[in-house]
Order: sequence, then structure tokens, then C-alpha cells
Amino acid sequence: MTEALPLLELKGLTKRFGGLAAVNNVSFKVREGGISGLIGPNGAGKTTIFNLITGVYKVTEGEIHFQGKPIHNLEPYKIACGGVTRTFQNIRLFKNLSVFDNVYTACHRSARYTLLDSVLRLPLYWKEEQRLKEKARSLLAIMGLEERMDISANNLPYGLQRRLEITRALALDPKLLLLDEPAAGMNPDETEHLMHLIGEVRTQFGLTVLVIEHHMDLIMGICDHIHVLNFGCTLADGSAESVANDPKVVEAYLGAEEESSNA
Amino acid sequence: MGMEYIQGIAILIGINLIAVLGLSILTGFTGLFSFGHGGFMAIGAYISAIVSTRLGLPAPIAFPAAILAGALAAGLVSVFIGKLTLNLKGDYFCIATMGFGEATRVILNNVDYVGGARGWANLPQFTTWWIVLVLDVAIVLLAWNIINSRHGRNMVAVREEELAAQMAGVNTFRSKMTALIVSAALAGIAGALMANYIQFIRPTMFNMAKSTDLTIMVIFGGLGSISGSIVGTILLVSLPEVFRNFAQWRLVIYGLAVIIIMVGRPQGIMGGVEMTPAGIRKIFAARRAKAKLEAELKAAEQGDAA
Amino acid sequence: MDQFLQQLVNGLSIGVIYALMAVGYSLVYSIMNFSNFAHGSVIMLGAYFGFYALTKLGVPFYVAFFIAAMATATIAVILERLAYKPLRDRRAPFLYFIITAMGASIFIDNSVIATIGPTPKTFPTELLPTFFQGDPLEWGALTVGRVDIAIFLVAATCLALLMIFIDFTKLGKAIQATAYNMKASALMGINPNFVIILVFAIGGGLAGMAGVLYGMKYQVFPQMSAITLKSFIAAVFGGLGSLPGALLGSVLLALIETFVSGYLSTQYRDLFAFIILIGMLVVRPSGIMGKDAEDKA
Repeated sequence: MTEALPLLELKGLTKRFGGLAAVNNVSFKVREGGISGLIGPNGAGKTTIFNLITGVYKVTEGEIHFQGKPIHNLEPYKIACGGVTRTFQNIRLFKNLSVFDNVYTACHRSARYTLLDSVLRLPLYWKEEQRLKEKARSLLAIMGLEERMDISANNLPYGLQRRLEITRALALDPKLLLLDEPAAGMNPDETEHLMHLIGEVRTQFGLTVLVIEHHMDLIMGICDHIHVLNFGCTLADGSAESVANDPKVVEAYLGAEEESSNA
Repeated sequence: MGMEYIQGIAILIGINLIAVLGLSILTGFTGLFSFGHGGFMAIGAYISAIVSTRLGLPAPIAFPAAILAGALAAGLVSVFIGKLTLNLKGDYFCIATMGFGEATRVILNNVDYVGGARGWANLPQFTTWWIVLVLDVAIVLLAWNIINSRHGRNMVAVREEELAAQMAGVNTFRSKMTALIVSAALAGIAGALMANYIQFIRPTMFNMAKSTDLTIMVIFGGLGSISGSIVGTILLVSLPEVFRNFAQWRLVIYGLAVIIIMVGRPQGIMGGVEMTPAGIRKIFAARRAKAKLEAELKAAEQGDAA
Repeated sequence: MDQFLQQLVNGLSIGVIYALMAVGYSLVYSIMNFSNFAHGSVIMLGAYFGFYALTKLGVPFYVAFFIAAMATATIAVILERLAYKPLRDRRAPFLYFIITAMGASIFIDNSVIATIGPTPKTFPTELLPTFFQGDPLEWGALTVGRVDIAIFLVAATCLALLMIFIDFTKLGKAIQATAYNMKASALMGINPNFVIILVFAIGGGLAGMAGVLYGMKYQVFPQMSAITLKSFIAAVFGGLGSLPGALLGSVLLALIETFVSGYLSTQYRDLFAFIILIGMLVVRPSGIMGKDAEDKA
């Protein structure tokens, strides 16, 4: 059976800060159209991997391939324009801009008009600006934020801020969406909503999603494939059931959770 | 106070406004702080002086050529500085612009061809009220058109959250560079106009105090507002005339005011907002939406409690 | 050769002053990750405090020196509490800090101009310790001004004491830890607020000392706050955030300036600092002893 080319592939990825290896020889594949999870205790290297994929950090060793092409060490904006976008663990919205402007700004990628077009207000500018406005509006509508369009982003409640960040990430028409702890700080109700949202977004936009999470319900609920990290190294990799039953994982991660819930 | 006096102030406002608009784009919208824009003005002034007096160009061409040359020269130098520092942490850009401003002054002080420290007098009076007005209108439009475009929005994104902007596909280096070049060229134009208005230029006119003066005009008007920068410039160029008796304390008060503004109301006078119908509508829309949201949240809470 | 040694000595005497300034700046930078652009004004105030303590209060030089350092340390802390802390608490963007620093330096510089006046003041040699007075010392063809020797000794001692403090005392280690990672050291029981105040105080004190020494060597005037540019360049040269780097960068910068001055021309001396800066940025922005820092998401 020939396997389709993975959308994202990490090969022997290693990142060292000084003497410390935050990520150590990690390899995994993310299949197109699926929702994959990246889990592990705090400090396991999950966000570091996101930073490596999105070009924030330079790779020490190893490679990252997206759609078969190497993207490691490319400029971050090029990777984003190439189809990989993300949200942040500590939300990084454009706080002083309105909800609409947050998304409108991110729509820039679909426009082609130049600085000269802007300065002279040539027809191309008007046509494309109109298109960008409509695109931003429709995205906000799909994500249920249209009513909040005019609010300053820092006035949004936390849950909506997270949703806005996802909307902004979608504005670039990504193929791969990286979500860094999207459910952080949410109660079970909100987490449930988020789960549905992620699933819907995946279907409606034809995306592949890679999620970092601590909320096990969310991970087990939506991920078809999970990669477990511990101290920067791969601990386990496979379907949700196989990972949940892997004794190493249970001991290092899920087991600790059981202990703390028994205590 | 005769018509000529008012016209004089108006011309000064008009000239400074050009440089301030450039700085507004760089600092107010893109979030980069320059200590050295006096240096770009100096380049504009001196290059334009050379072009308008030493090149033997016929009168109608001399002035436009001088202004253009001043703008180009300043823009080119800014490319050099930008390439070296805009990829690094913000501190490097600040220090480099500070160094650049000082270096320009030192060099100009020592080049006798342009008058050295004593300055260069008897420059031709080319700058008129009309020229300044026309240029002002054109440059306000230029600034406005840049800001209200995807290029401007990207600059604001760089100011707000540079990392997130990169993740949103913004080429932050290019945005910063564009802002820098535009601001430097505009400072160059202002310098050229200044030279041919006051008819005398001297390196100390363009030192760090000039840079900070311009920045203060941006800050008072409010970061991120073109109309604010206009208001700030009008206020701060005309105020010294009003408070001539307290001249020494003017800057003391400005310094204190800057601190208070930053700590208390960073939006400055205009509140980071544009004094246009669209701008005002935006503020009201934001307020309404916020009130609506708060009402809904409150209702939800009460509904839960019930 | 004699010319060379002479320039070397001249360079060292200004180098240690730059070092006091640059180390003070780098110290604050290493903890706060931001450049205190009001540093120059604090240096200038130090010179004035020293001058007036010596002439108006009539205290001996070393007391005046100490008073100046204490005064600037206090002012630096006040500046931090009133202008920077509110911004830090609000997690204001980097830009706001620079603007506020600019405002503070304009306020301070012009306050001095408006009250004391812009005329430069000279340290009266009669009031300095007897060692400082008299003819320059001579060693063969070397002529060294007594003030220069004194400056070198005082500055070198202060720098050495500082290095000992940072490397060997508990407080010094606390500072190092906080510079490395503020959150982690807070978890280890080090109060970050306290470290910040301490560091601003030390930075301010060093600035004051540099101001007095610079004022002694040249003159005291309000615009001397511009000298801070040299300390920034020296710090970048040696590596932003590294204290040994600041020291090395300062001495090297001063030596290069002096040699250029001596062998080429004095006119372009100040230009060389800028050339070194540009050179550094082209070749190795992290400085001689600096490390690359990557932003963490």
C-alpha cells in the first residue's frame, strides 16, 4: 500500500539552546485532512516544535518538509504565506485594533496591488480592497464573530479572543493550521464548543490541523493521530487509542494525571 | 501680528508637517523610534542647497530638482541604515539612528564646501506659501493613502505584534523598510524646503533636538493618527511663539508632558483616531459594540444565576 | 613608539569613563531587556552633583564623588518607579519606553539649562586632592596628566568592585540569575522588583561616577548627556547585555578614537564611534562577546 505524501513531515528534528536540547531527534508525519495532536508535559518541547515549523527558530539539526518541500529555516512570513499558519499559547492579537481589522489585516496575502497602486489609488486598489473587505466579513460571519466586528480586540472575552486568533489564522487560506493550546483557560462547556469548531473549520476549509493541548478530552475527542513528547524526545506516536493504552505514555503523562486526580 | 508674520508661521508649520508625517508613519504607525531624523533633514537641506546653487541649473528646474535630490539622497541613506538594523532588535535601530544623526552633524561641521560649522548663508528664497501648501496637501494624501492600504495595515501589525504579524504572512522587514524610506525622504523634502525658506543652514539646526522636536509633535497628536500629527504640528510650532517669555521652560514642560502622556494617555490628543467621518463613525461603532457585548454578558450571568 | 604609548595612556583614561557608563547601561539592559535612553541625562546630573558638592558644600573630593553617585542612583530609581514601572505593569510596547525615556531626558536636560544655565563649569583644581594638582607626571617621553591617572584609578577600582560584587556576592548572583531568566529566578525566591530597583540604582550610581570623572577631565555642561551615545556604541561593540563586553567595548572604542585623533585628525574622532558601530552591525551584530538571542513565542 503506497501512503500518500504527508502534508507535514519532521525528520530528525533537533533544536539546541546552548547545551540544552529542547527538541531531540523528533520525527513524525501529519497526514493531509486529519487532525493531529501533539501532547506532552510542560516543557516537553511542543511550542518549540511549532516555532521551528513556523520559522521562528532556526533548526539545529534535521528537516521539516511541507507538501514535500523543505521549509525549515525559511523566513517566517514565507512559511505563513506558503500555507502554514498558527495561533499562540499566550494570545497575540493586534490588541488595539478592532476585531474586523485583525482579520482584515491578515487578508493582505490575497491582494496583489502595489504601493504605487495604493498611493495613486489606481483601480486595482479599489477592486482588491473591496474583495478583502468581503473576505474578512465572510470569515467573521462563519466564525460567529460578525456581531463583534467593531469591538477592540482587547475588549473581547477570552474565549472570543481565541476564536478571533483562529479566524485571523484562517485569513491566509492555510492548508495546515497549528493551534497552540487553544483550550487553555476554558471550562468544559467552552472546550466542547471549541472541539466542534475545530472539526467544522477543518471540514469547511479543507484544512489539516495540528493541535498542542493539555485538555485530554479535547485531544482524545478530535485527534485521529497523536504524537507524545517528553523532555524533547518522542515518547509515542499513533492513533488516540494506541497512545492512551501505551504504558510509557500512561506512566509519564496520563498516569501522573490519574495520580493527581486520585490525590 | 501682521499677515506676513502669520504666513511665516504657517510656512514653518507646513514644512515641519512634512517631516512629522513621515515620522508619524515610522513611529506612530510602524512603531519604530528614530533619534536621527534631523540627520535626514540635514541631508535634504544640504543636497538641495548644492543642487540649487552650485549646479547652475536654470531657475524653474533648480528648485524641483533640489527637492527631489534631497529626498532621494535621504531615502538612499536610510536604505543603508535600514538594511543593517531592521532585522535586529529595536534597540539597535534607535542607537544607529542616534549615531547617524550625530555622524551627519560631525561630517557637515567639517566639510568646508558646504560651509562647515559656520553654516551656509544666502541660499535662494524658493519656498513660498503656495508651494508649501500644495506639497502639504499632496503629502497628507500620500500618507493617508499609504496608511489606508494593506501596506499601512501591515505596518500597524508590525507595531502591534511583530511576531504575530510574521505568522500572518507579513514581510515585516519590508514593511519597516518602506516606512523608514518614506519617512526619510519626507524629512529630506522638509529639509530642502527649510533651506530655501530660511535661506541659511547650519549643522546644529539638524541635531538630535530637532529629531526629538518632530517626535514630540507626533506624540502630542497621538500615535497612529494622521490628523493627530497635523494637530500636533500646528500646536507645537505655534506655541513657542505664544510662550516666548518662558522659552527655556517650554522644553521642560514638553519633556514632562511626554512622560505623562505615555504613562497616562498614550493616544495623545486625537486618541489614535482620525478626525474624519469614517474615523468618528468607527469610534462610535466600537463603543456601541462594546456596550452591547457587556450587556449580553451581564444578561447571561443573570440568566445563569436565575 | 612613544607616541603610541602616549596615545594608549590617553585612550585608557577616557576608556574607563566610557566603561563606567557602558557597564551601567548594559546592567540595566541585561535585566530589563530595554535601553534606558535617559542614561545620558543621569550621567550629566552626576557631574553637576559632584561639582556642586565640591564647590558649594565644600566637602572633600571623595565625599563629593560619593554624594554624586548616591544622588544619581536615587534619581535613576525614581525615574524607574515613576516613568518605567507604570509602563511595565501595563505591558506597554517597547516603543513607549523609548518615548518616555526621551521625555525624561528632555525634561532633565532642559531643567538644568533653565535653572543653572548652559554655561559650562570647570572643576576647580584647588579643591581636588593634592595629588591631582601640580604638573603632569613624566616617564621618559610619556606625559600623563594627574587628573587622568586619578580618573583611571578611581574608575578601575569602581569597576573592579562591581565585578566582584556581581560575580561573588549573593546579591550579585541574584542579579545574574534575573538577567538570565526573570520568571525562573522569581520562582527561586528572588524578588524581581527588588533586583530591578537594585540594578537601576547601581546603573545610576555608575553613571553619576562617570559624570563626575568626565566633568573633571573636560567640563560640566547640560549637553554632555549626548556622551551616552558613546556608551551605547561601546556596549553594542562589546555585545549588548554582556558586562565584560561593555568593558572591553569601551576600552577598545576609546583606544580607537584616541589613535584616530592622534594619528589622523581630531575633527573626525566622534565619527569613528559611528563607523565602529556600522562595522559591528555589518560583521557581527551580537558584538564581540555577545550571543544571539532568539525571541520566544
